[in-house]
Amino acid sequence: MNGLDFSIVVQAWPYLWSGLLFSLSLTAAAFLVGMFLGTLFALVQHFELRILSQLVRSYVALMRSIPLILVLFWFFFLVPVILGHLSGNGRPIPVGATYTAFITFGLFEAAYYSEIIRVGLRAVNKGQFEACQALALSTFDTYHHVVLPQVFRVASPIILSQTIILFQDTSLVYVLSLTDLLGAASKLAQLNGRLVEMYLAVAVVYLAISSTASQFVASLRKKYAIAGARR
Amino acid sequence: MQQERTVSPADPFPMVVVEHLVKQFGSFNALSDINLKVAKGEKIVLCGPSGSGKSTLIRCINHIEKHDSGRIVVDGIELTDRMRDINTIRCEVGMVFQSFNLFPHLSVAENCMLAPMKVRGLAQSEARDRAMVLLRKVRIHDQAKKYPAQLSGGQQQRVAIARALCMQPKIMLFDEPTSALDPEMVKEVLETIVDLAQDGMTMVCVTHEMGFAREVADRVVFMDRGSIVEEGDPSTFFRAPNTERARAFLNQIIH
Repeated sequence: MNGLDFSIVVQAWPYLWSGLLFSLSLTAAAFLVGMFLGTLFALVQHFELRILSQLVRSYVALMRSIPLILVLFWFFFLVPVILGHLSGNGRPIPVGATYTAFITFGLFEAAYYSEIIRVGLRAVNKGQFEACQALALSTFDTYHHVVLPQVFRVASPIILSQTIILFQDTSLVYVLSLTDLLGAASKLAQLNGRLVEMYLAVAVVYLAISSTASQFVASLRKKYAIAGARR
Repeated sequence: MQQERTVSPADPFPMVVVEHLVKQFGSFNALSDINLKVAKGEKIVLCGPSGSGKSTLIRCINHIEKHDSGRIVVDGIELTDRMRDINTIRCEVGMVFQSFNLFPHLSVAENCMLAPMKVRGLAQSEARDRAMVLLRKVRIHDQAKKYPAQLSGGQQQRVAIARALCMQPKIMLFDEPTSALDPEMVKEVLETIVDLAQDGMTMVCVTHEMGFAREVADRVVFMDRGSIVEEGDPSTFFRAPNTERARAFLNQIIH
């Protein structure tokens, strides 16, 4: 190999860009779905709703104990079979790789986010709940305006760290033959043989995005420190 | 300061009636057979050694602690398990906690506006106006935009008083409002409560500040081991308590 030629990366940029967009949109969607479900799951456990909370606990434990890549396989192969059975004729109904990826990531991340939020809920001072009771605030208003805003504030650094991991994990969609940033680079590298340049380039992109996000986390942490946690 | 006695324990329409109240924590009797009437406008100071049940008693009045048996009637409404009754009573009963319990993520003004908007249904502008009036009353309106952590303990407790007042309660409960404060901040908070007392607010205050009790209390209620042991007007109580337990307690807090 005689010298690195990054012009190949510039030429490949539109394809890499589309891969990056897929990675980012998968991250964003999984974040939104995961946070919504995760908050719900955490609240179910927090309120100790009988059967529901047991179910959620098992779900979270299951998701957290198996590799994401296995969950992706499951959904890809199992869900069509289940859907087929449900529809009655027994023939598998394919869900498609893209849907599989979005649904799996959302459901998988929900388990992780719910653990973070559950711990955050436990960290809210008992006095906050008592103050809400004394002011006759409803349970909904208590959680909506007092408890959850504090949980998100305290947990935001951990939530964002988890989201950075999620962003990196999106590269696993290659097992479904989907093309994310790394997948795009990998495919091009196979074609043009410029493995070093391609992998270096995507590494720089991952580094730039992840470290920017980390900086953001750090600045949030600082801001939170000023706002003060003295209760 | 001489208090004019406009109320008597025989008031036919007391603000709070507590009858045969019992509260247990497991096998521990936190309150056993408590009977107490608070007349409209009356100021009661509750004192007693730690663990005597004074905090538990006032926390039962707004159902932060659920009582096991007995009756609690606040302004004619009996406290039952029904959420409607509980909330009606909580709207009329303001509470100030030892550790302030301000909402750290909300500004001083927002702390005062939240419940009036969500519970009383005030518009934001009305809630803000009311908050500013009451923050001015506790002399802290110039800090309205700050967050609780940026204030001193005394300032935070005054905000907590304003927050409770924003619900326009008919009675105020104070649970050791100055115990968590540095000594130099106790005075500003007590002065605020004295002002409130002079406005005619009905109040029950758990405190060991004897000077304060002398100045504002119509009645001092002394509790020990979950029972009311002695009650009387402050000058008599502090000068010549009837019971040995009260004497022992007063000896310990007045060095």
